Amino acid sequence: MRKIKLKDLLSSRSSARVLLAPMLVAGVLVQSAFAADVRIGTEGAYPPWNFVDDSGKLAGFEIDLGNAMCEKAGISCEFVQNEWDSIIPNLLAGNYDIIMAGMSITEERMQTIDFSSDYFPPDPSRYAAAADSDFDFGNLKGVKIGAQGATIQADYLEANFKDGNTLLTYETPDQSVADLMAGNIDILLADGEFLNPVVEGSAGKLALVGPGVEIGGGVGIGMRKDDKELQEKLSAALAALKADGTVDKLIKASFDKETNYANQ
Amino acid sequence: MNIESIVATHWLSAVVNDVIILFKPALFNIYFALASIPLGFPLAIGLALMKNSRSRLWSSFAGGFIYAFRGSPLFIQLFMFYSIALAFNQTLWKPLGIDDFVLHPLFLGPFVLILNTSAYAAEIFYGAIRAVPKGQLEAARAVGMSRSQVFRSVTWPNMLRLAWPAYTNEVVFLFHATALVYFTLPVINEQKDLMNKAGELFEKDYNVFLHFSVAAGYFLLISILIFFLFGLVYKALNKHLQHLSDSTDGAGKMKFRPNYMR
Amino acid sequence: MEGLITSLSELTGTNLSYLFNGKHLAWYASVRFTILAAFFGAVLALLFGMLGASAKRSSFAPFRWFGSGYITMVRGVPDVLFFLFFPLAFEQFVEYLFSLNACTVAERASGKWPPCNAAQWYLSTSEYFVMACVSLGLVYGAFAANVIHGAMRAVPESQLEAARAYGFTKRQVYWHFQVRQMWIYALPGLSNVWMLLLKATALLSLLQIADIVQWAGKLGAANYFPAAGLVHGDWRWRYYIVLFLFYILLTFLSELFFRKLQKRASRGMALDQ
Repeated sequence: MRKIKLKDLLSSRSSARVLLAPMLVAGVLVQSAFAADVRIGTEGAYPPWNFVDDSGKLAGFEIDLGNAMCEKAGISCEFVQNEWDSIIPNLLAGNYDIIMAGMSITEERMQTIDFSSDYFPPDPSRYAAAADSDFDFGNLKGVKIGAQGATIQADYLEANFKDGNTLLTYETPDQSVADLMAGNIDILLADGEFLNPVVEGSAGKLALVGPGVEIGGGVGIGMRKDDKELQEKLSAALAALKADGTVDKLIKASFDKETNYANQ
Repeated sequence: MNIESIVATHWLSAVVNDVIILFKPALFNIYFALASIPLGFPLAIGLALMKNSRSRLWSSFAGGFIYAFRGSPLFIQLFMFYSIALAFNQTLWKPLGIDDFVLHPLFLGPFVLILNTSAYAAEIFYGAIRAVPKGQLEAARAVGMSRSQVFRSVTWPNMLRLAWPAYTNEVVFLFHATALVYFTLPVINEQKDLMNKAGELFEKDYNVFLHFSVAAGYFLLISILIFFLFGLVYKALNKHLQHLSDSTDGAGKMKFRPNYMR
Repeated sequence: MEGLITSLSELTGTNLSYLFNGKHLAWYASVRFTILAAFFGAVLALLFGMLGASAKRSSFAPFRWFGSGYITMVRGVPDVLFFLFFPLAFEQFVEYLFSLNACTVAERASGKWPPCNAAQWYLSTSEYFVMACVSLGLVYGAFAANVIHGAMRAVPESQLEAARAYGFTKRQVYWHFQVRQMWIYALPGLSNVWMLLLKATALLSLLQIADIVQWAGKLGAANYFPAAGLVHGDWRWRYYIVLFLFYILLTFLSELFFRKLQKRASRGMALDQ
């Protein structure tokens, strides 16, 4: 894999260098350390998977797992935040090398990127709504139903509830939850494990309603198709972490959920 | 058929295909502009008159409004108004039964655009009011016209004539500003504008030149159309004024040259 | 610092330490991107503006067409479109150049992008930041070009003639008389371009730069997850109001600065300002 930096392009033209040198310095200030071997793209707005805590640092299940994995593989890693809707294009553009962002393994995504084996089992998506509400999900009509854009949930709504309902899509998960809490949508469809803490923290205002919906596979690491070497390295590290029980332990810590990756 | 012509037809059909796909999204940008202009125009005139008024209270209110909305990015104004509107949803909009309406991008988008454009346009009209020839005003008063008569026959036509080229420019800016609406507000069903749809197409095949160029083409084309239509209005404005004003400063011709200030 | 916050908190009866946690400090620190992007964007806009204006004034027709074409094209489309388009287009253009050498003819005809992996140019956030500055420079350079073009023509021809009569060379007349005086006429317009550019820096987050807008969104978003910190509802409106006021303050400071500059520039000039 050949990596071409802007610097190489400019080395021939001194006049351009004079102008661009301070800008490159400024660019470096933007992201002070890009010396890491592997950069991991994450959304940073999807607790408990990945989020920015009050100290301003990225935290969550995937941050812990990513760091453990890199340690196992003996490489240095760094997390890069990226908005969800452009997270795959920017992986392909090379802003980072892998994605760990609660991303479900789907056929459609596998057209453009590769996935590792899952590090979180398939998790049914759930509907959240106001606690006192009641919906007939077999025959849903005239409701405002939302999901984050470019997700499996958004595709599911598009395929199943398009007629007779209003579908709203949001740039970030925060926005979708805010609109549900404020009552701008009646129902929000999202990953169950994402909605659990939201419902719990809503002081009784929200509840999970209706059936769980099985969409997508488990959550895996998204990687560029041509990065075979990196894929193998990380898959081996992930397999080792599964076998020694680290993955189960981290899931238990973040989700309070029992899994059994150690004996697969 | 040789290779070149195959490539050419392929290239052309891709463009035509994009032009068709992006037609409906373009209507959303046009809608946002069309919904904002008819209300933004009178609001701007009102603000300009207020800023020009002798009352300290009114003029500082209008001045403050204009300063705030010209001094901050529309991008932030959109975010701000949506989050504020959302905060009032349970306590205000829901009980009134207008929540679907208030939070709808097709309402809230033009709402913020109106506030934004009226501030910019008000500054233009304010400048024009100040530039109305003093001699004409004095002459009108001297022949015993009332204040409203002076306004109708001197201030108003002069202001319009003086402000029109800059206002035309502002309308083009407003049209361009519509591109920001769906970066900040939720997307409902298939209601997507040019930027939104072009971005979506780009994420499928990474052909940035094709999709963004066609979107840019739509913006360019409609901008030219705005210049043309407003140019016709300008001509009409000046024809009507020819016997009132003795101006020989080349009035009546608005050059087809985009202005650059907002 | 912490002692100060604690005593201030006691004084006001609120918990101010929340406003000084790491997340908030990161928000305050992210102001540097806004300032840096505005500064470098402005420097480049001035450069492109000079080039564009020179091209438009050139006696060589293709240069003139290029100058006018640049100004009209950039002006005819929304800044946000060009802002997003330029980095992507530049990246693909470079990849295209690489692909000419690195990829086979069959790969290049496949319609895939990039045609082969060797032609892939990987960009990181810092490079996107540089491109964001160049985008701002290009867009507002077109605006500046028009201002400078107009200002050049505003310089009284009689002064230039007088300079020529004194035996100054063409180059000297251009730099010491026309350009020197042009600035006074251009300043009001350029200050206006600066205001536009400053407001356009709010778009940085669209290029995945963690600027003040992105942090405000993250800070204001409701948090229901105790492990992530203080549990609170949707506070975004507060943060966006702060940003709204912050930009108004920047505008105010810029106005003060340009007023001073205008005064300085017109010193000793035969102008009725």
